[in-house]
Amino acid sequence: MASKVFKGIPVSAGLAIGRTYFLNREAGTSIVRINIIPEQVPQETARLKQGFNAALDELENILKKVPRDLKEQAAIIDSHIMILRDEKFQKSACDYVHSRLINAEWALENAVNDIERAFSRIEDEYIRSRTQDVRLVAGRVRNKLYGQSKSYDSKSERMILLAHDLSPADTIELKLDRIMAFATATGGKTSHAGIIARSLQIPAIVGAEGLEEIQDDHVVILDGFSGKIIVEPDAEELTHYTDLKQRFSEYYSQIKRNCYLPAETIDGYQMQVLANIELFEEVTSVIDNGGEGIGLYRTEYSFLNRNNWPSEEELYEEYRDMASIVYPQKVVFRTLDLGADKISPHFGPLEEVNPALGLRAIRFCQQNIELFKAQLRAILRASTLGNVAVMFPMISGLQELREVKEIYFDVREEMRKAGQPFNDEVPFGIMIELPSAVFIADVLAREVDFFSIGTNDLIQYSLGIDRTNRYVSYLYQPLHPAVLRSIKYVVDAGHEAGIEVNVCGEVAADPYCIPILMGMQLDSISLNPQAIPGIKRIIRQTTMEECKELLKQVLTSSQVQQSNRLVRDKIFTHFPEGLMFYTSLIEES
Amino acid sequence: MAEDNICETTINLHNEFGLHARPAGRIARAAQQFEARIKLGFDGREVDAKSILDILSLAAPNGSALRILAQGNDARHAVEHLESLFREKLREDG
Repeated sequence: MASKVFKGIPVSAGLAIGRTYFLNREAGTSIVRINIIPEQVPQETARLKQGFNAALDELENILKKVPRDLKEQAAIIDSHIMILRDEKFQKSACDYVHSRLINAEWALENAVNDIERAFSRIEDEYIRSRTQDVRLVAGRVRNKLYGQSKSYDSKSERMILLAHDLSPADTIELKLDRIMAFATATGGKTSHAGIIARSLQIPAIVGAEGLEEIQDDHVVILDGFSGKIIVEPDAEELTHYTDLKQRFSEYYSQIKRNCYLPAETIDGYQMQVLANIELFEEVTSVIDNGGEGIGLYRTEYSFLNRNNWPSEEELYEEYRDMASIVYPQKVVFRTLDLGADKISPHFGPLEEVNPALGLRAIRFCQQNIELFKAQLRAILRASTLGNVAVMFPMISGLQELREVKEIYFDVREEMRKAGQPFNDEVPFGIMIELPSAVFIADVLAREVDFFSIGTNDLIQYSLGIDRTNRYVSYLYQPLHPAVLRSIKYVVDAGHEAGIEVNVCGEVAADPYCIPILMGMQLDSISLNPQAIPGIKRIIRQTTMEECKELLKQVLTSSQVQQSNRLVRDKIFTHFPEGLMFYTSLIEES
Repeated sequence: MAEDNICETTINLHNEFGLHARPAGRIARAAQQFEARIKLGFDGREVDAKSILDILSLAAPNGSALRILAQGNDARHAVEHLESLFREKLREDG
């Protein structure tokens, strides 16, 4: 019998072969109405109450385990506990069992619907959205009604965890030593679960539709390179993947041994290799993987999943710790890069037809100036304890840049007057990610200390492609001549003005693209920490000479397919053993 | 006779995001410590202050005038306690 394959988005590389366990299986199944007879009412209400109590116990246990620095998660879990303990809620569900003669699950559903109806009259978008909390809480109770206990930790072997989705509460609860990999049915490339998996260095896949079909205790292969989950693999597949897994672990330990060596080509050209991170916790994997500093600290995480803005003090503590851990290497703090769509709870609903072209990143900060200033102060304060740089996202023109600089210098002046110490020499740079910024790079270069080219957005904005849109994603071409010429122009303009230029998009972690970036003589690249050992290895096996030659060929090629073939042939001769372990942005043709 | 103890006050809500889940949870938790029946009134409606869901359903925004009404043995104590909670604690945490 052929094995069944599910496909999702790989978010953390690696391979796992093991047995499955589905967390919160009921969450995606439909609720069934069962009529009961009056004699069954006491039994059914008792079951319901037990469900509430068991769910309550569970949440209280989770709350105890929440690390103290995750205050927001703790507050969310605490409000869930309050909802569970709300006698009205429980009573309303029990009343339904009684009055309608229905099963506990259906009664619970009715009670939730009542609350939702009551809340739907509320105009406040934020409070209205709290019905989601009621739903989540009810889901937990239903889990208990179905008799599921979170018992995967009692199994003797490590499991491959499957779930519809993993919430922050779920991830706190996970017994990580019992899990070798996980896959979720929902979620995208940037979901919380992926970040967690990468920082734990376990393979993970998200957005694998249909995952619910997989039964518990089935053997699966989870391929975190290609995003495949193979259920009940046959002997041949098992042999293949066992072998591959072995080779990967050998290969990985081999490249990791050399990851602390500089990224220097055979002919002596050295490039600095920095890391992109999102979570504070990822710092350890930067250090483990030979990152030479942090080229992009995405500061958004502390602003998400909460009801209020973080205080300056809170941000300062985070930035201070980050800067001092990484010291003497540098940390580039990118200021808040969010669209108003993501932070509506504090911002009020904002109707934008096209958020990608809307109020986001630096534009949002300019309109929320106190928040922006608080973040700048926090970064500057941290600058006395480490090697800190500040970077502004999504700059589109000179006027805008000058306005931002004015705010930045105002903040410094205010701090100076207030006697608050900071390092006067903190370099400040901008992200080049809009085509408009590319074409005036020569002008912008005179105003800043460094450029960082954000290729993910630059490619999307240049080619007019939303990469997550599966109808057009085939047009996402990093080697499009327009993209390459843009990057080249920015690097040259930066160097002409005597400033450093970095690339911090996914192309920097792409084995096919790296020789091209090398050929452009970038000062540094910044990429996800897990990819650093492999990329360093490629750099150490090439010469600047041949990278320049390859760049020349690709720049004169007007066809993307031809360029793709050129880089593939090149990298294949240098790096055949590692290629199977990397996903590339360059499509196979 | 103690049952007839009634105590009442009006306070102004100072919380940027109104009575959302976190402050609502704190109020309910605090109210549950008292024997008295406690109601929270806003905009012509009265709800049970011991129920987080009831409190949320008020959807009281920042600046609302809220009525705290308690009846029972420890009514006075309850109102004072909630009043100080509104005044001190709910202010700081968003």
